[in-house]
Amino acid sequence: MSKGFMINRRTALGGVAAVAAGTGFPAYAQDNKRIVVGTWGGDYSRLLAKNIETPLLAPGGWDVIKDEANAPPRRAKMMAEKALRRGTSDIQGLSANDMFEVNEQGTVEQLDYSKMPNAANLIAAMKYPYGIGHIYSGKVVLFNPKLMSAPAGFADTLDPKRGEKLGIIDIQYQYTMLAAGLAAGGSMSNFEPGKERLIACKKAGARIYPSNEAFAQALKTEEIACGIMWKARAVQWQNAGINVETVAPKEGVPMYVSGFVMPKNAPNKAGAYAYLDAMMAPSAQEGFAVDMGYNPTVANAKVPDDVQKRIGFTDEEKKRLVDLDYGYMAKNDTAFQDWWNKSFKG
Amino acid sequence: MTDTALAHGPVVEKRRGDGLTAAALITPATIFVALCLLAPLAILFRYSLNDFIPAKKMMVEAVTAANYIKFFTDPYYTSILLTTVRIAVLVTLVCLILGFPLAYVVARTQSRWKHLLIISIVLPLFVGNSVRAAGWMVVFGNKGFVNASLLGLGLIDKPLEIMFTEKAVIIGIIAVNLPFMVLSLQSVIEGIDRAVEEAAFSLGAPPVTMFRRVLWPLALPGILAGTILTFILAMNAYATPFLLGGPLFKMMAPLIYNEFTQKTNWPFGGAIAFILMTVTLLLTVAANLLFQRARHGR
Repeated sequence: MSKGFMINRRTALGGVAAVAAGTGFPAYAQDNKRIVVGTWGGDYSRLLAKNIETPLLAPGGWDVIKDEANAPPRRAKMMAEKALRRGTSDIQGLSANDMFEVNEQGTVEQLDYSKMPNAANLIAAMKYPYGIGHIYSGKVVLFNPKLMSAPAGFADTLDPKRGEKLGIIDIQYQYTMLAAGLAAGGSMSNFEPGKERLIACKKAGARIYPSNEAFAQALKTEEIACGIMWKARAVQWQNAGINVETVAPKEGVPMYVSGFVMPKNAPNKAGAYAYLDAMMAPSAQEGFAVDMGYNPTVANAKVPDDVQKRIGFTDEEKKRLVDLDYGYMAKNDTAFQDWWNKSFKG
Repeated sequence: MTDTALAHGPVVEKRRGDGLTAAALITPATIFVALCLLAPLAILFRYSLNDFIPAKKMMVEAVTAANYIKFFTDPYYTSILLTTVRIAVLVTLVCLILGFPLAYVVARTQSRWKHLLIISIVLPLFVGNSVRAAGWMVVFGNKGFVNASLLGLGLIDKPLEIMFTEKAVIIGIIAVNLPFMVLSLQSVIEGIDRAVEEAAFSLGAPPVTMFRRVLWPLALPGILAGTILTFILAMNAYATPFLLGGPLFKMMAPLIYNEFTQKTNWPFGGAIAFILMTVTLLLTVAANLLFQRARHGR
């Protein structure tokens, strides 16, 4: 596909929604049709391709390249590239607290929402000045109904009485400390009361797993009977045949938001805006709800009723949805990690 | 004079030519090492003297030894260093004990299958560490090969905890390092004349005395090379402790990675990297000196 063809067609179709994100940009930006997307690998990356890139971006001539890794190495790369005039990625997929932190570090662009027509339908809570929420879920209690009755909430789950039937995920240290904090009378801005409870659980034999997948494996083999995790993951694991049910904890349901930011030195900002806009298209959001069990972040996505029933929250549960105190978590993250590694695991 | 000058001329020219050739030969490697090893090390060392603001996860320019002091004054970090040294020494000893007889057999065999023996020792190196660790994960898991077999045979009634323990890491690193030890020993033992062993036997030395007085001293260069190589590899092991050790087990290399990526604390990560490098270097030099003394003291 030649550049000439692209420009001619672009001129001819100027104003059409599919290329709306690209119009009004300088010519040099239009010439660059490559978008480099930093993302987690696995299902998430596969579903980005299936629901966003192939149906919405490829027809416009966009060529998407993935930089797949967990968030910490990608964040380290953003920091390392901070001083460069041109970075190596155009957008980066991060959790809401990571998005907050990279913004604090001054590595990401403040977004111009007028360049993304689909942003008109974005839920207000998912609209950050420095990033956009792509999908969201809530931290809930997971349990195997064959091995135990439904716990009431975090306090009933993160309890030493569960012994070695309680599973804890190492990389979920922040949310585990948050849940334990809520269970022990703390708040979204004070995780301290939960520390004693977590140590007691570990002394009682709680098992610690390195990854979400290892935790799922342990649920499957019935090595453990309960733990805490995103509701969306529970739905995914139910689909994979694991006998697991969820409870929206009575102490509150901490929200998990996953979104995208644009590095300040993104080589193709027009491409980044095109990607962000496509990500908010109702069809893409509906695809993620069905395939991955996360809730859409735009108001005009229509999720089938049966799916909505499994992934969503009832009106009563929605009242308990609580957003995180990103400032508190970012400020104390190093201290949390130190405590987690030295006192809890050590 | 002219004759002398003529006579010396070509010699001088030849030397100059030699120098140029030598320079041409060593320059690419020198530039490569300088750019790819020394420059990053220098930058890393500079970073290790910087400060870190935990609340913002930001590195701040400074010249301070605080990161090094923090490491040596916090028992959490020193215990990780001690665990790493302990495991590296243990793995090296086991590799030496397991590797020596194997290397001896390979070196001395007259079989036409000798090359196949050598290939079978080298073969595990064709598979990456992480791939091998993934294999071990299948073997060690609660419902893995080992536990399923033992449970099936009725030898145990509860799965053994192997995965995510120190045992799994030690077995994993030994499996990775053993070929290096065997190959280092085998090449040296092959160079020892069989006649000296036979001479010892003909003078009435039992096998143990022959081994202690003849084979061991002559094989010392290979033992030294093998132990140093194995020790350095074990000290710096990353994939095996990361994948088989699980969340509760820590060694130095995964700790460094965690500081850089999870905490974005580059100054402290840099300091730990230098501490690991220095400790490895010092222990290697110490071992070398001990071997030399053992060799010359005889």
